[in-house]
Amino acid sequence: MDLDESLPRRRFMKAAVAVGGASALSACLGRAPRAGEPVPEGVSDPSELPQRQHAWNDRVRVDGDGNVHLPRHQAFLYLTLDGDGPPGDEARETVETALGTLDRAYERSNEGLIYSLAYSPSYFDRFGDPLPDSVDLPEPRRLSGFENPEFDTQDALLHLASDRGDVVLEVEEAMFGDRSEANGIAVDATLGDVLIVDDRRTGFIGAGMPAERQAQGGEPISGIPDSLPVPDRSPLFMGFEAGFSGNQATEDYVTIREGPFADGTTKHVANLRQRLGDWYDEQSFEERVMEMFSPGHAEQGLVEGVGDNLGADSGIDAFLDPETIEQSIEEHGRVGHAQKAARANRDADGNVRILRRHVESTDDDLASLHFPSLQRRLSTFEDVREAMNGDDLTDNPAIRQRVNNGILEYIFVQHRGNFLVPPRRHRALPTPRPA
Amino acid sequence: MHRRRLLALLAGSGAAGFAGCNRPRTAGTPTDGKAGGPTTSTPPGSSDGGVYVQSFVERMGRLGTATAGPYRVALLYTVPHRFWTVTNDQRSLVPKGSGDGYRLHLMATVWDPETGVAIPETGLSLELEHDGRLVSEEVIYPMLSQRMGVHYGGNFTLPADGGYRARIDVGAPSIRRTGAFRGRFEEPATAEIPFRFTGRDRREIGTRETPQAGEPGAVAPMDAAFPLGRAPETEAMPGTHLGTARSGDAAFAVVRLADPPAGVAGDGPYLAVSARTPYNRLLVPAMSLTASVGAFEGALVRTLDPDLGYHYGATIPALAEAEWLRLSVAMPPQIGRHEGYERAFLTMPPMELSI
Repeated sequence: MDLDESLPRRRFMKAAVAVGGASALSACLGRAPRAGEPVPEGVSDPSELPQRQHAWNDRVRVDGDGNVHLPRHQAFLYLTLDGDGPPGDEARETVETALGTLDRAYERSNEGLIYSLAYSPSYFDRFGDPLPDSVDLPEPRRLSGFENPEFDTQDALLHLASDRGDVVLEVEEAMFGDRSEANGIAVDATLGDVLIVDDRRTGFIGAGMPAERQAQGGEPISGIPDSLPVPDRSPLFMGFEAGFSGNQATEDYVTIREGPFADGTTKHVANLRQRLGDWYDEQSFEERVMEMFSPGHAEQGLVEGVGDNLGADSGIDAFLDPETIEQSIEEHGRVGHAQKAARANRDADGNVRILRRHVESTDDDLASLHFPSLQRRLSTFEDVREAMNGDDLTDNPAIRQRVNNGILEYIFVQHRGNFLVPPRRHRALPTPRPA
Repeated sequence: MHRRRLLALLAGSGAAGFAGCNRPRTAGTPTDGKAGGPTTSTPPGSSDGGVYVQSFVERMGRLGTATAGPYRVALLYTVPHRFWTVTNDQRSLVPKGSGDGYRLHLMATVWDPETGVAIPETGLSLELEHDGRLVSEEVIYPMLSQRMGVHYGGNFTLPADGGYRARIDVGAPSIRRTGAFRGRFEEPATAEIPFRFTGRDRREIGTRETPQAGEPGAVAPMDAAFPLGRAPETEAMPGTHLGTARSGDAAFAVVRLADPPAGVAGDGPYLAVSARTPYNRLLVPAMSLTASVGAFEGALVRTLDPDLGYHYGATIPALAEAEWLRLSVAMPPQIGRHEGYERAFLTMPPMELSI
């Protein structure tokens, strides 16, 4: 393991989460003993917790503008069941017991642990019955005419999030390693008894974290140019804020209403490499604003710095009508990323349809992005992605498949996976038609 | 009729991959090398300047060829280049750049192995790995050069001698496909080209100066083992040749077909405009072109067709009896330019052709 003890605390925690494992955890705890900074404990009766595994917003930090700040440290564990066929009741009980331990060990908050366990279409294929019509969950597929992703078809996705890097690590060690306690609570059953970690990915989010992580040992990580241009206060490598509350679906909106999985949601998770050399070195700030938001945002000077002046809304809805977009292309030869995507991300009443919870990553020393999106029906995400492709705008040759077309030049999709996040009552190895 | 730059073209000479420069003559006799036409409304070489002989001829090397789905892909390298990207009517210079290792210009060409037609408009990205580590991954821009025609290129650094793997993702082109190209090229595909690179490979490439640098003309395209993206000879195009117009130093060969190619809605005459460089017939793609004929006024659609090649076309009933055709370029070719083309095809006045 390669953990530099001289790193400032937050960078150290981030590095430890990225490395993972028992030694990373002990390094964390050695540096910041739990006794000095206790982690709030969970509930004695997990059934008190809400049904919605995706109900995070009232349990994390929210800024003065109402924007939700996701927990800083996150892990995405892609899990597989041993063998073929449906899991049995014993495995189901083991999973429920293991998750119950986590609920009792950690307060469900950014200071403790927030998590969800979700299941893929491949998982449900283990059963004879299909999912009910109330669940729209296609297999993952290619969502643009130029990407060639690997599909994540593992059975399940455990998504862990906490402001405490040591909590994320401890949960992993308690569930898949040798640790017998989680925040002082004895671990009797583990997820690792039933599920194998096929892939482990990590993420982080927070103002300043990308700038701190853009170089390692003085060298830029892959995807970041030598100029180390990521602004100090940006929460994302691309230099802007995102996920303004006014441009996000509510948790209510993305919740499945009917059927056995009512109070669940669907989750698409993409992993994208970011290649930001030309983004920063060949483009001015105004051009980046045009491509991230819209040319209108640049014309009107709406974005200052990383965009925290935008408050609770990027204001993108003012730039969505076809005439405005056409005119922007004629004048600037560009169309904005947010502008394109938002066209399909509003319902007839103007409500936002998807809830994005993306975080940055330096896994494998590459600048990348884990992009979970929640929506009531998975195909809604596909619609939004199609709009983001901007194929309909390439009639004007200034807008090319991946050039001048939002941020498509700088992001490279590596993985896509689709999952059902069941309600809490069915979170442990559900059948497709639970009673 | 103004023909101040009717230049003879001499065949390239020299070793394979190192063809010589065309030697422009100043004689005013029409030649078959330059795409001449019966009507020219604008002098070639407008205020922006026209096509000129690039200042050097570069020797290129091949890194490999691979098949990816319906596409055939070749990857080549040469010395780093400066080039210009174009957005609307603005061009911006991309420098050669620098880096520790071998700084190179990498070029990919994509064609249909069944017809030999080059595919000029697709989103293409190149990922490079060295000893299993990611060195680079970039969307590389379509561009036009005198030696290569339409290709996809960018400057890259290979950090050291050794084994490399290039993965070239070819996007499914979004332009209209007609005839036998209907239903083809609908999926993206990835070509993998492994190669070794050492100082010896670097020494294979180089440049020599061209004495005619800056004069109107162009060096000869390379003697390539793959299609270069040339427009068909006008005489070889199906239909009736109505003439060739010029604007911004590009030549626009105009043909009329009795019926549109399969895959285009509507009946009646079809107008196809094939835009090419003034020398060597290299394709000039990715512009917005509109036509005005009789009562018709509308956009010509960028189309890839195995017989007409890449062209701009529309079904226009009025074409049968109209006397005049007006073409106007609403957006100049949105394609990167290598030296010799960066001043041309930018300011493009309207054209008028008696048909």
